Amino acid sequence: MKKYYLIAKNTWDEMLTYRASFVMWRVRNIIQLLTIYFLWSAVIPPGKNLLGYTQPLMLTYILGTSLMDSIVLSSRTYAVGNEINSGNLMNFLLRPVNYFSYWFARDLGDKLMNICFAITELTLIFLFLRPPFFFQTDPFYLLFFIFSTALSLLMYFFINFLLGLIGFWSPEIWAPRFIFITILGFFAGSLFPLDILPRTIYEILKFLPFTYLMYFPIKIYLGHLSIFEILSGLSISAFWVFAIYFIVKLIWRKGIRSYTAYGR
Amino acid sequence: MGGNTRILKYIKLWFMMTGMVSQNTFVSRFGAVLFLLGKLIRFVFFLFFLLIIVSRTQAIVGYTLWQVILFYITFNLIDSLAQFFLREVYRFRNYVVSGDFDYFLTKPVPVLLRLLFGGSDILDVPIILLSVGFIFAALSNIGGVTIPNLLIYLVLVINGLVISMSFHILVLAIGVLTAEVDNTLWLFRDITQMGRFPIDIYKNPLRQIITFIIPVGVMVTFPAKAAMGLLSFNIVLISLLVGGLTLYFSTRVWQFSLKRYTSASS
Repeated sequence: MKKYYLIAKNTWDEMLTYRASFVMWRVRNIIQLLTIYFLWSAVIPPGKNLLGYTQPLMLTYILGTSLMDSIVLSSRTYAVGNEINSGNLMNFLLRPVNYFSYWFARDLGDKLMNICFAITELTLIFLFLRPPFFFQTDPFYLLFFIFSTALSLLMYFFINFLLGLIGFWSPEIWAPRFIFITILGFFAGSLFPLDILPRTIYEILKFLPFTYLMYFPIKIYLGHLSIFEILSGLSISAFWVFAIYFIVKLIWRKGIRSYTAYGR
Repeated sequence: MGGNTRILKYIKLWFMMTGMVSQNTFVSRFGAVLFLLGKLIRFVFFLFFLLIIVSRTQAIVGYTLWQVILFYITFNLIDSLAQFFLREVYRFRNYVVSGDFDYFLTKPVPVLLRLLFGGSDILDVPIILLSVGFIFAALSNIGGVTIPNLLIYLVLVINGLVISMSFHILVLAIGVLTAEVDNTLWLFRDITQMGRFPIDIYKNPLRQIITFIIPVGVMVTFPAKAAMGLLSFNIVLISLLVGGLTLYFSTRVWQFSLKRYTSASS
């Protein structure tokens, strides 16, 4: 366990080494967040309502996506494909570490740093913009929110890892990821809550994993969902975590069998 | 060598370098197709997003659906044209750290020209064509767009491209001084993305800052406003002045950075 703690700590230290780069990345995040924040402030003026969303609820949702982005979507596993392509994977296969745990530990170090920055940024936004904000106080919703976020975190880890495994069969690892990020940006709900989409599209999205990465946990936090909706959402979420986990394991085994590590 | 001959030589050079970069892009046809598909998906999704918002609210800060689309597509056209022509800037860091930049400095081609226009990204062409098509659709659906307003629109789009090029020159200058390119470039792109929506959605002082200090408003929002007849002649003149000043400032910074270049790698 200690070695994985050290891997997470190393990732944290790595990020501190390239401070300027990381700070620029966070500044970019703030700009993206503010763009969507101001858009929704203009679309739903105070006292108005859009499909059940008042301005405080919508702005809470949008600011919540920033925190969820740090908890769920910040990840290091995008490098897995490169490791496979470059032959570096061989170094890991020879070491007494579990490759999945190694990347999960790196992810945790990365997430922790991002969460610290996201909290600081949100605090600054609160101080300067004083947005109307919805504070959830019901422990029932808060507990389910935490549980759902944990499932999202695992789901994203496995999805990202799966994309990296393309590296076993193709050097073209960035193009599929580019498409994935584009789709994710839209269907995870980082620009808007998915339930403002036309009903048919929303009903289809409810069965896809993207919905459970950001939109679903924040909807629980907002107290918008009934107990039945929460439980059915968590079941679909858990299904996807296990399904993607087994697919990753299967593809990993197939990939390792065909892996040649040329150049090493 | 006469001015015209020199320009022809540079255009020929641009074609050659774009041809070579394109061959590189299509080494992996699968990857090229996926990248193109990703760009198209992003374009369509964002239009859909705007459609959803406006269909639920009827208007964004008073602008109708086609007006909002014109703002977005104008942003997209300027952004895509800049990416198409100035793609070489994205490769600049490699040139600095590998020492290739020193090699460019010895060549009989103005180095700034080489670094800005040294190979266009062919994958942006479909998006540019799509944007032009949507601009025609938006302008005809908005209605009441006069020929003079259309001409001012074109002039301000060119002005927007000049501002975008000036920012890219600043990125190059910062790259020469610090070897940092990628983050500055992406920061610039994120700031310009604020212009995907009419800048009227932002509150002051942010609106003033992104209109005149970091002239995103002048660059991508003002052309669409001009087409709708919402821009006074004075503001058009100020916009052109901002474009000219940005270009002047960026070339001065570029010259300053070249004087301080110490050949970091080779």
